[in-house]
Amino acid sequence: MKKDLVSIDDLALESILDYLDLAARVESMSGAEKASLLPGRILATLFFEPSTRTRLSFEAAMCRLGGRVIGFSEAAASSTAKGESFSDTIRTVEQYADIVAVRHPKEGTARLAAEISRVPIINAGDGANQHPTQTLLDLYTIRKFFGRVDGLKIALVGDLKYSRTIHSLCRALLLFEGVSMTLVSPETLRLPKYLMKAAAAATATFRESDSLAAALRECDLVYMTRIQKERFPDLVDYEKVKDSYRLDARMLEGVPGHFKVLHPLPRVNEISPDVDSTPHAGYFEQARNGMIMRQAIILDLLDARPGRSAT
Amino acid sequence: MTPQNQILLIPKIERGFVIDHIPAGLGIQVMALIGRWPELEDAVVTLGLNYKSTRMGRKDMIKLQAGSLPPRLLQMLALVSPGVTIKHIDNFEVIEKVVIQVPELFDNLARCLNPNCITNAEPHVATRFRRVESGSRNFRCAHCERVCTLDELAGHIKV
Repeated sequence: MKKDLVSIDDLALESILDYLDLAARVESMSGAEKASLLPGRILATLFFEPSTRTRLSFEAAMCRLGGRVIGFSEAAASSTAKGESFSDTIRTVEQYADIVAVRHPKEGTARLAAEISRVPIINAGDGANQHPTQTLLDLYTIRKFFGRVDGLKIALVGDLKYSRTIHSLCRALLLFEGVSMTLVSPETLRLPKYLMKAAAAATATFRESDSLAAALRECDLVYMTRIQKERFPDLVDYEKVKDSYRLDARMLEGVPGHFKVLHPLPRVNEISPDVDSTPHAGYFEQARNGMIMRQAIILDLLDARPGRSAT
Repeated sequence: MTPQNQILLIPKIERGFVIDHIPAGLGIQVMALIGRWPELEDAVVTLGLNYKSTRMGRKDMIKLQAGSLPPRLLQMLALVSPGVTIKHIDNFEVIEKVVIQVPELFDNLARCLNPNCITNAEPHVATRFRRVESGSRNFRCAHCERVCTLDELAGHIKV
């Protein structure tokens, strides 16, 4: 049966751990071994809105697996600009590709594509809803740095209200044992209550804090997000908080050696460039892990895991 | 008003269906739903509003002289007015009685409340709303995953 990756909520803990193990296996393979896995296969990347990391990492992932890539990087470059429906675009592209990664500003597009298409669909971001490959690569990065996810103390910082990355990551972290999440955000950008309530049924805990400095002292890692100016109806409010959540190298003095800083990128000014040269900066390795995790996802959905003959 | 007087106001029907225990005030909305089905166009319909009810305080009631009820109408009733009782009448007797429950899934009955949901951009797409958990009155859109209440969904019935 065809498999898709649409929502992190579709994955049980076992499936998430399976993806993390598969990504580790892919990472341990030589370039030549990887390049022999998907010869002749085609990935279509349908990006109806701009992206740097996600699109390029999907394309690099497929190229390094020996496959090829077709697609477009903005809606204006597709027939949508001529009035074609999203459904028709999917019905057309599935005739050409073996697997499709889709990003679209409307929520629910990946699910609809998965319903329509006979080839696997990967959700590369649907509006404010889901971005499951980001969550999987975040978990992979965390496990790589710490050897585990269970029991970690994680500070989530910035826009916790609107960030789909944060919402998906929270939901996934709730599946692990005893993860302690410290939520650091402006009052107006707090984590939605329904997510806070979800912790009641899990062994994870949430705690709200106003102080980034305090969170740095208490946690194993900090996951930073960008505070988006456009989220503030009153720009005076934005000016008040924008620097409260800015991390620089000086603030990291005294944190334990294992402490890591993650960020889904792009960053604007929430992480100072002087953090890059500290041993705590984990965000560029996180971006690299994005390619590895997307290789694992493509291989899994195409039923072409290493050691198994491709169908 | 005695029960006998009520019977005079809504006479017994020989054959058809009684939609009973409609919460007072929703009878007109249920009538509007019935009006959507061409196959019920010739049915004699009687609407009674604001009857006293020991269970509900006040209730509305509709009697329909028709051979069958479209299944999709029953699904819409579950959306607009769950808890109503449908009595199948033959030869003036109740031969079957069912209470319409809140279902686990609403299949293409309502539009999504989220204006940014793809189902609103491409209205030919069939919507699905699944109950968040057993016993809940909250439903999740199968596409955009936004959660809404049963009452909110009832306000977005597909035309």
